[in-house]
Amino acid sequence: MKLLIVEDDKDGAAYVVKALEEAGHTVDHAATGRDGLLLAAGEPYDVIVLDRMLPGIDGLGILRTIRASGVQTPVLLLTALGGIDDRVEGLEAGGDDYLIKPFAMAELLARITALGRRPPPQEIITTLQVSDLSMDLLKRSVTRGGTRVELQPREFRLLEYLMRHAGRVVTRTMLLENVWDFHFDPKTNIVETHVSRLRSKIGNRDAELIHTVRGSGYCLREPD
Amino acid sequence: MFRSTSLRLAALYTFGFAFAVVVLGVIILLITRAAMAEQFDARIQVEAGALTEEFRSEGLQGVVQAVRDRDNMVGALDYGLVAPGGAPLAGALATARVELGWSTIEIAEHEEVEGRPEHLRILSTSLPGGYRLLVGDDAERVEAVDGAVLRAFGWALLGVLILGAAGGYGLSRDIQRRLSAISGTAEAIIDGDLARRVPVRGSDDDLDRLAATFNRMLDRIAALMDSLRQISNDVAHDLRTPLTRLRQRLEGSLVESSDAARTQATEKALVDLDAILETFAALLRIAQIEGGARRAGFRTIDLTEIARTVVEAFAPSAEETGHRLKMSSEAPVLIDGDPELLVQMLVNLVENGLRHTPPGSTILVSADRQENRLAVLTVADNGPGVPALERPKLLDRFYRLESSRTTAGSGLGLSLIAAVAKLHEATLTLSDANPGLKVDVVFRPSTTA
Repeated sequence: MKLLIVEDDKDGAAYVVKALEEAGHTVDHAATGRDGLLLAAGEPYDVIVLDRMLPGIDGLGILRTIRASGVQTPVLLLTALGGIDDRVEGLEAGGDDYLIKPFAMAELLARITALGRRPPPQEIITTLQVSDLSMDLLKRSVTRGGTRVELQPREFRLLEYLMRHAGRVVTRTMLLENVWDFHFDPKTNIVETHVSRLRSKIGNRDAELIHTVRGSGYCLREPD
Repeated sequence: MFRSTSLRLAALYTFGFAFAVVVLGVIILLITRAAMAEQFDARIQVEAGALTEEFRSEGLQGVVQAVRDRDNMVGALDYGLVAPGGAPLAGALATARVELGWSTIEIAEHEEVEGRPEHLRILSTSLPGGYRLLVGDDAERVEAVDGAVLRAFGWALLGVLILGAAGGYGLSRDIQRRLSAISGTAEAIIDGDLARRVPVRGSDDDLDRLAATFNRMLDRIAALMDSLRQISNDVAHDLRTPLTRLRQRLEGSLVESSDAARTQATEKALVDLDAILETFAALLRIAQIEGGARRAGFRTIDLTEIARTVVEAFAPSAEETGHRLKMSSEAPVLIDGDPELLVQMLVNLVENGLRHTPPGSTILVSADRQENRLAVLTVADNGPGVPALERPKLLDRFYRLESSRTTAGSGLGLSLIAAVAKLHEATLTLSDANPGLKVDVVFRPSTTA
């Protein structure tokens, strides 16, 4: 994907750019808000990664300007500000996701991928399909190989999220935020427990669909 | 002194009253004068009428006699009888040249009063036969009243001005003194004496209530500063140990001989670091919650919904450690609050319960409304419980960050519970669940319920 990183911390930016390029993306880097604004307005990017605290200027101001000029590119906000209200503020200013520094590279990669591959909003999806697993979003039903699978509402939501991000890595934090709306980290690994239950419900040990990606999270895709 | 608001106010009031006195004085003067004049004229008219009657009944001689008699009386009016041709017949006024009806003439000198011109008010009526009757009196009487009224109001005005000045000065000095007390306290606090408070008189008036509110504000500030100091101490303490361990681990990895060993050391270091960051974030979050800014984001929420979300999320994990986690209530319980924080609080309570009970225990979560209509969130387990004597200590641990902890997380978890409860003005109580521990979070009355 074509990415724009707007980050003033040289070392931090260099590290991120390198890791993203190694993952196969094309990356442009802007060290100031102004440069970021110019690049964002001038070229089409798949995802923009924007640091909230830039020298002399508020990243949210840049974001609002970007949005005001009609740029719809998904924006991931990076920030050291972990306040509860800061996240809401960032999202209200036009951001699509919010990641608190310091973060694990795997987390950033997973979220960028998730943002970049969102289907256009006009497209209405009514079914999701991966291999022989099928989810009907209207009827709220799931079948595996033609057989109906009974799921609790939360399990359904979990599976839906995994299927919407099929083929891509989904981190534990992303699941906590999007499936449970938990914006903190519980000591107990509830994600692992629920994923393992889900696995056994949609089960078929020979053709596992939900894979664990070590150090990153989970990925729902065709069986290996 | 002239910058004093109270003095300006007092001056304003005084001048206002003085002005009112003046206006009142003028009005009363005019009214009195008019009334007196009316009465005065009326008397003259009555006399004129009486004498006319006399003329009708007794004839000319009768009137002449009446006039002469009256002229000799002390304190009587002045009279005059004029013949048709203009020749004076009787009375002191007979020589006066006036038109018919009412007139006022000035006489330079008069026997009764020396040196002062006399204003005579005269009524001239015609009698049958062409005679003319004049009745009049010295208007001095009316004018004297003028003087009396003016003098009275003059004294009143003086009184108002003096009282106003004295009262205003006295009042403003009192207010000034009280305001100085408040600003003096503020100055002392600015200079660093944080324990100072504004003296409260107990008179429960505006200034007193202001002083009381001021003191409450100062208490709040002191609490915030204490919290800040506490956080700094705890950050230093809580992070020093894990940071030291991290450093040692990294230092140790430098001397590792194999790549695999180094990789493993680095991975462990990352885990340590994440734990440190989490502690840091938790401390910051607690400080933020204690700061109270979140209260603005409160909205109407259902405690039962929150309980359900948490129970459902943690029940599978609870099962894995041999615990049972269930809801024991169903009906919605609405309160005003912050859903994110309440979820986190409940998660901490549940995790605490799971951690301190053996496998096989049951943990029940419920949201109810007590008889007194207060909402209560309860987490009860049937584990070993906490002896009554130790419960206050445990509650204390909720409110103080303990310096000795086995895991960084648990102590902060309790502090977060306390912080969220406090933000919602809810009270935490620990009791015996017979067996086990029961934790109740009782919320203040909601505006929605």
